[in-house]
Amino acid sequence: MKSKTVLTGLAMTLCLLLVANSGYAGALDAFKDETGSLKIAGGTAHIPVMQEAAKRIMTLNSNIQISIAGGGSSVGIKQVGEGLVDIGNSGRKPTDEEIAKYGLKLFKWATDGVGIVVHPKNSVRALTQAQVMDIFAGKIDNWKALGGEDKGINVYTRDEASGTREVFWEKALNKGEITTRANFVVSNGAMKSAVSQDPYGIGYVSVGHMDETVGPVSFDSVAPTLANVKSGEYKIARGLFSNTKGDPTGLAKKFIDYLFSTEGQEIAAGNGFIPVN
Amino acid sequence: MTKIGDTIWERLFLLCAIASVVVTALIFGFMVVLGLPLFKGGHFFYLLTQPWLPSRHAYGIYPMIVGTISIASLAVVIAFPLSLGCASLINVIAPRPFSRFLRRVVQLMTGIPTVIYGLVGVFLLVPLMRDLFQRGSGMCILSAALMLAVLISPTMILFFADSFEHVPRPYLDAVDALGGRPVQKFIYVMIPCAWRGILTGCILGIGRALGDTLVALMIAGNAIQVPSSPLDSARVLTAHIALVIAADYDSLEFKSIFACGVVLYIFTTIVVLAVRSLGASGRRQEP
Amino acid sequence: MNRQVERWMIGVAWLSGIVLLGTVFSIIGYLFYKGAATLTPSLIFGETQPMDALLLRRQVFDGLFPAMVGTFSLVVLSVGWAIPVGLATGIYLAEYSGKTMKRTLNLFFDILAGIPSIVVGLFGFSLAVFLHKHFSERIYPCLLISSLSLAFLVLPYIIRTTQVSLDSLPPVTRLTALALGATRLQNIFYVLIPKSLSGILSGVILAIGRCAEDTAVIMLTGVVATAGVPKSLLSNYEALPFYIYYISSQYANPQELMTGYGASIILLTICVVLFLLAFAAKRGLTYHALYRA
Repeated sequence: MKSKTVLTGLAMTLCLLLVANSGYAGALDAFKDETGSLKIAGGTAHIPVMQEAAKRIMTLNSNIQISIAGGGSSVGIKQVGEGLVDIGNSGRKPTDEEIAKYGLKLFKWATDGVGIVVHPKNSVRALTQAQVMDIFAGKIDNWKALGGEDKGINVYTRDEASGTREVFWEKALNKGEITTRANFVVSNGAMKSAVSQDPYGIGYVSVGHMDETVGPVSFDSVAPTLANVKSGEYKIARGLFSNTKGDPTGLAKKFIDYLFSTEGQEIAAGNGFIPVN
Repeated sequence: MTKIGDTIWERLFLLCAIASVVVTALIFGFMVVLGLPLFKGGHFFYLLTQPWLPSRHAYGIYPMIVGTISIASLAVVIAFPLSLGCASLINVIAPRPFSRFLRRVVQLMTGIPTVIYGLVGVFLLVPLMRDLFQRGSGMCILSAALMLAVLISPTMILFFADSFEHVPRPYLDAVDALGGRPVQKFIYVMIPCAWRGILTGCILGIGRALGDTLVALMIAGNAIQVPSSPLDSARVLTAHIALVIAADYDSLEFKSIFACGVVLYIFTTIVVLAVRSLGASGRRQEP
Repeated sequence: MNRQVERWMIGVAWLSGIVLLGTVFSIIGYLFYKGAATLTPSLIFGETQPMDALLLRRQVFDGLFPAMVGTFSLVVLSVGWAIPVGLATGIYLAEYSGKTMKRTLNLFFDILAGIPSIVVGLFGFSLAVFLHKHFSERIYPCLLISSLSLAFLVLPYIIRTTQVSLDSLPPVTRLTALALGATRLQNIFYVLIPKSLSGILSGVILAIGRCAEDTAVIMLTGVVATAGVPKSLLSNYEALPFYIYYISSQYANPQELMTGYGASIILLTICVVLFLLAFAAKRGLTYHALYRA
């Protein structure tokens, strides 16, 4: 029930309608006479955008069925490569190996960052890279050492298939260790829920997913905001990709075109990402 | 004509029976065949003792085995006195109306979906454990074991109550004739008579606890360490399968879940054989 | 000393009873406390009109309707697969098999009954991958595969209840028709099955309940978080227990979490009702047996 997001999206659309002719009716028109189904799977950060787009398309034309699954970036790449889904989302750029093996075509429709989060009541809000590496490796295990309360640090991490994890591990942890004591969660949404419920927890989540239920932590004095990701100051950034096996056709092609259209980009912006257009 | 019809039907029934057996065997077969790359060269036993560190190419399932055994045994240890007490209430100690009410409630409990135990565990039990122990995230072996104990109790209670009902009447009448109280009847006659049933109930409880996925997945934290205390986060074999299923299925990482499947299958078979042998020896002893 | 033990035993017994009752009621109470407020038609139908949704004229978003339809289709399909095979196997076990055959078959079915549901789900997933690679490109984890896997899961229930109901018929009933010249088959179809119908029915209803609440199997074989009403056997679908699991770990805001509680209440009600039905059906059997005898 993202009423807030839908309202924002609608408001922006209305403004656009007043200002320009393109956009609204045009983008969805492409789906008017289509039938069939579209399977999407992969990155969990993309899911809110996928769900909103699917909702609009299916409301317009109830003959289309779009199913959306999560699983993580590696799952998206693998499944689209094997032909199990039509569009595979990933929060990291597929490796050259993967592109060659599956003949993938990449479509980056937004930029996002990966930020460290803690519970909103936690007073520790700025960490250096060295501290972050030590926390996630388990070397620093009490908030006291960071100026917080005398309580143990509960580390939360993502599963191996996650693109968010991959990006965080490469850019923030410099490919360092993640402690075996860390609790595992299965998606960005799950990370958000877990950290927002644990007063002594710490984790990492897509910047687009951050809201008032979690407390963002500055990394080397740069806050994980959209502005900083856009300007390039915040280093832990990644693109949001939708990949297809070979050139997209039919419903998949229309869906990807829709993501790049004004309306699609609005949905991305409305969900906290930085659209490419 | 009818003779042939009869034979056809009989063959059909036999076919269905064989199909069911084939499915059972096939499940095990698929696990072994699909996990083969990991099993080659006596690797399987090696796997059982290795830690799980995919980034270092270690695909051992030892931490998960320890997790499964710890959570399952702790759950049964917690559930056993609980179930025995309730079964005694139902059979002897409580007055009739309450005993009937308790039995109904326990029977209804067997119908509660597992996911609901998980849901309530995450939002009610985990914060409670976190505040109580002031250590860790609340997602630990103890929390999962507590919830699991509540899950397996109804099965154990009903099984115990059933075995107590099968104690021969003359024994119970004898206690009454000697002027014994209900609780004495319970301790000195029913428990010794039905010990086999009690043991079977415990084994069934262990089997159920070993095989449960959701409670441990949602409550135990799923860390990959080998747990060293009940307040540590741990991962069980069943949750591991659920978590890794999303990975690339040509990778060795993925094959490890077939190893988990094999281990679980073997655990289950041991449980079933134990229960059967107890049942068989009980039958041999009956007058 | 003995008196101490006895008193202690009574104490433990009452304590366990209270703890158990307390736990059950707090679990159910917590669910209702958190979720009762969300039990409105919009929980199920979102912003779509109920009639439109039910007649499948419009899709439902933000509502439980697709999940409920998914669960319903799943249950119907799984039980549809399981009943013929389970019934036939049960009949074979009760009527045709010899002693050793019976013992061996029972061993296998006990094992099947004990296999953790996630292993059955893993089997279903492997089956899907196998079929995808060797048979048809169009097969991947979907409603068909899930229902087959669930059928494997509940097969032992149906086999066991059929066998037990048939076996518990009094000898008089079993032999009369045969004595009058009927064939074995006629005996089974015209006498034995109708008489054990309530037992078999209770097994079927238990199987339905099991299919409705299972999460582990469907997680691996095709359920997704968003799919709308399933359009074909080979499509992805949503299901109520998976929705609850998904929401509990990935809720976007507190309202979404409340819908999770609402969904739990609905699922709980469905399962409890099914359970009571099974119980009533079985009771029908005992009443009949006592009345006749």
